[in-house]
Amino acid sequence: MHVPSLPHLFLADLPPEAPLTPSLVRDACISVKRNRAQWLLPRRTSELVDIIAYNADRWLQADYPLRRIALQSGAAELGFSSPTMARGLDAFFRQLTHDHLIGWLAQDLGDSRRLDEFAAPASELRHGRLALARGPELLAQVAAGNLPVSTLSLMVAGLLLRSGQFIKCSQRSTLLPRLFAHSLAELEPKLGACLELASWPGGHEAFEGAMMGEADCLVVQGSDTVVEDLRRRMPSTCRCVAYGHRLSFGFIAGDVLGTFLARKVADRAAVDIAAWNQLGCLSPHVLYVEDTGTLTPEGFAAALSEALVRMEQTEPRGALRPEESAAIDQRRSLHQLRAAHHRSLHRDAITVPRGAFFEAPTAETQVWSSEGSTAWTVVYEADPTFRTSCLNRFIYVKPCRNLGDALRRAEIVRGQISTVGIAATEGRAQELALELARWGVSRVCPLGRMQDPPLAWRHDGRPALSELVQWTDWEQASS
Amino acid sequence: MRAAVQVQTPCGKFGLARANRNCALRTDSTSFRLIARLSRKTNRSQVRHWAVKTAMFTSLSDFGAHLHSRLAAFGDTGSCDSFDDSGFDRLSRSLFRLQFEANPAYRAWSESRGITPETLSSWKQIPLVPTAAFKELDLSCLESGAASRCFHSSGTTGHTPSRHWHCTESLAVYEESAAQWFAPHLLKEADADGDLGSRESDGRWPILSLTPPSEAVSHSSLAHMIATTIQRFGSRDSLFVGALNSNGDWVVDTDRLLFALRRSLCGNRPLILMGTAFNFVHFLDLAEQRNLRYRLAVGSRLMETGGYKGRSRELSPGLLHSELSRRLGLAPSHIVTEYGMCELSSQAYSHAAGASPERHFHFPPWTRIQVLSPETGKEVEDGGIGTLAVIDLANVWSVLGVQTGDLAVRQGDGFQLMGRISQSEPRGCSLMTA
Repeated sequence: MHVPSLPHLFLADLPPEAPLTPSLVRDACISVKRNRAQWLLPRRTSELVDIIAYNADRWLQADYPLRRIALQSGAAELGFSSPTMARGLDAFFRQLTHDHLIGWLAQDLGDSRRLDEFAAPASELRHGRLALARGPELLAQVAAGNLPVSTLSLMVAGLLLRSGQFIKCSQRSTLLPRLFAHSLAELEPKLGACLELASWPGGHEAFEGAMMGEADCLVVQGSDTVVEDLRRRMPSTCRCVAYGHRLSFGFIAGDVLGTFLARKVADRAAVDIAAWNQLGCLSPHVLYVEDTGTLTPEGFAAALSEALVRMEQTEPRGALRPEESAAIDQRRSLHQLRAAHHRSLHRDAITVPRGAFFEAPTAETQVWSSEGSTAWTVVYEADPTFRTSCLNRFIYVKPCRNLGDALRRAEIVRGQISTVGIAATEGRAQELALELARWGVSRVCPLGRMQDPPLAWRHDGRPALSELVQWTDWEQASS
Repeated sequence: MRAAVQVQTPCGKFGLARANRNCALRTDSTSFRLIARLSRKTNRSQVRHWAVKTAMFTSLSDFGAHLHSRLAAFGDTGSCDSFDDSGFDRLSRSLFRLQFEANPAYRAWSESRGITPETLSSWKQIPLVPTAAFKELDLSCLESGAASRCFHSSGTTGHTPSRHWHCTESLAVYEESAAQWFAPHLLKEADADGDLGSRESDGRWPILSLTPPSEAVSHSSLAHMIATTIQRFGSRDSLFVGALNSNGDWVVDTDRLLFALRRSLCGNRPLILMGTAFNFVHFLDLAEQRNLRYRLAVGSRLMETGGYKGRSRELSPGLLHSELSRRLGLAPSHIVTEYGMCELSSQAYSHAAGASPERHFHFPPWTRIQVLSPETGKEVEDGGIGTLAVIDLANVWSVLGVQTGDLAVRQGDGFQLMGRISQSEPRGCSLMTA
């Protein structure tokens, strides 16, 4: 998307009539590496942390011009309404404080000074062992399409690691990474010169070859096919860090489904469904509801539909492309048809078998949905088997006897689950988290915070910073 | 439905509904007496008018026989008077009433949408069944044991196919519908280049199908449709050159295909080639491998249809047509695309062979299409994108209103295909890379 008020700093800023060529990509990578050696490599961690935190603070101000462009143009480019975008951006930039950034370095590298000097935590010091971490010279990133924050998060990681960065944005969403890069360049033009952003159709061998030929580390967020394809073409000098496809779900324990609490739980679930229009890997596809509460799972689905009505008033979903609306419409029609069929079987007692070719769905289905739009849809299905949603605020509510029962029904996606948002009393939460961890879930959080992971969260269960660095160990001579 | 509204007032909505359900199965005079008794205060002539209009068909067989005769008349005279706006409206509402009575799943769906034969005021309100529902519900009006044939949707292995059940009568309607719309698009004699009389002396064409024969793939509506055209319009040397391999995949018997092409070339006889897009890609791969290039007799034509479903490399329609044109010596105007599916009994074509090729499909006059905004469910303006829905009168024993899984751009009374609507593949942020 061409935003006229932005200066042409990056390849992605060029107007559509300026063609991108593989040699431009290669030259840009070389410039970034040169600038990085000159201006970024000598910087201290504390300075970079201060710049990032100060910049994030600007992004949290309602009148910050680049934020305003993001909110205004975001709807046109990404399909998010301004309130949805604002909530997502606020959640992300609130994390970028001095303390959180230092905490992230300390967590992933063992000691926050390790990018500046040889350092070690006490347990290693005792044995005379120190270590220094080095970030990649050129960190290339193939960014995911719909959700901008994971790209921004990696850009922050790259800065902390003093890496030059080349970000290949999805053609659909270059805007936020560009605005973020511009905000850094505004503060420190020399830092901006260590970043480059461009966009081309995924799978373009010449462009990707030029980028990977210069990079020493490539981070890919994409489907298995995209990752495999890039790995196949990657030169041996480049290391690949891939984040594959992940799914998430919610679990609501029966003990929080009292009459009073249920509405609050439904509101929290609505926050997770509305956040980034449910498009992220951390957004729930299914909410499993224990059938031991005062409110039945079906009753919870109805309460959730009311919460989504309220959410639509404050944070509307925004306009979708026809193919996205059509996917919702198709699926909604099918579930409504199942629901109608089920009702008719029970009401009229129509004889079910009409010959050998009749296969009536056995599960009970109910659908709640927005009138005259596809803004939100809640489908209650008595069949507890895990089902992927078509997203954009389309959620399945399914009953289960307990967590073990839910996990058995989600066995088909075991190993692909990123986050489980739980609503349970404090006493039970620990027991549930343990059960989920043993099953292989990489993140457990309270319902309502699924799309709001802390900065230092371990993406796909792996520490993000330490995935990118290389180490020099120094074993000191014993005195 | 003006009269229906008037009779509702004295009788009450539900009384009338019950009465109408009964009268659909009675003779005209019986239903007239019944309704007249229920609505004494109603204008008698209006009731008579209503009864004649809506209960003119006493059964689906009756409707099917009537439609069959109208389709045949269309073939003989090209007349589509029966399917003008008022005729189509009348027929579609009659058929909806009969299906509402005979098809419990469709009735349940219609009632849940608030539509009954009594409340239906235009064909545009006919409830649409998504094609995905054919995978799991019995959407047939046939009695148990009456079905003799079932067409399945094609798809990738492991997917449950859609199923559309047929009996002898419904197949007869299907065949009539398929043949009568095929003829003006593929058998047209006066081509744009003025070619006349390119057929055999008996008026039949050599038809070469790259699909397996209908008997080998009895669940394929396409193979049945091609078999019908061969039976009706094909010369004695028409043949299927497709087969099934050990995995059940469709393959082309290359020896037979090349033999048939050479025979056509030797006799300088124009022929009709038919098959799926992936059949033709298999042929193109073979032609590339063996460096084959033909110049088929003037007047030859080709009909391709369907998607790829991972059965060959995929080519854009433009590239597929230009490659076929290059390898077979066919004019682009003689390469026609068909759009059909097992859930329907009528097909759409991109253009008539010899006419200027366009990418706007048209269904026959006994259907109507709607391009509906998926967001609001309302019809889009001309040039707008939406979900394609088809009301097909030839779907006599199933459901006449079908919501396809395809996105289309509305172009007058035709449409341009934009692609399949994503069904259920898992997506997350990582899958959005593009």
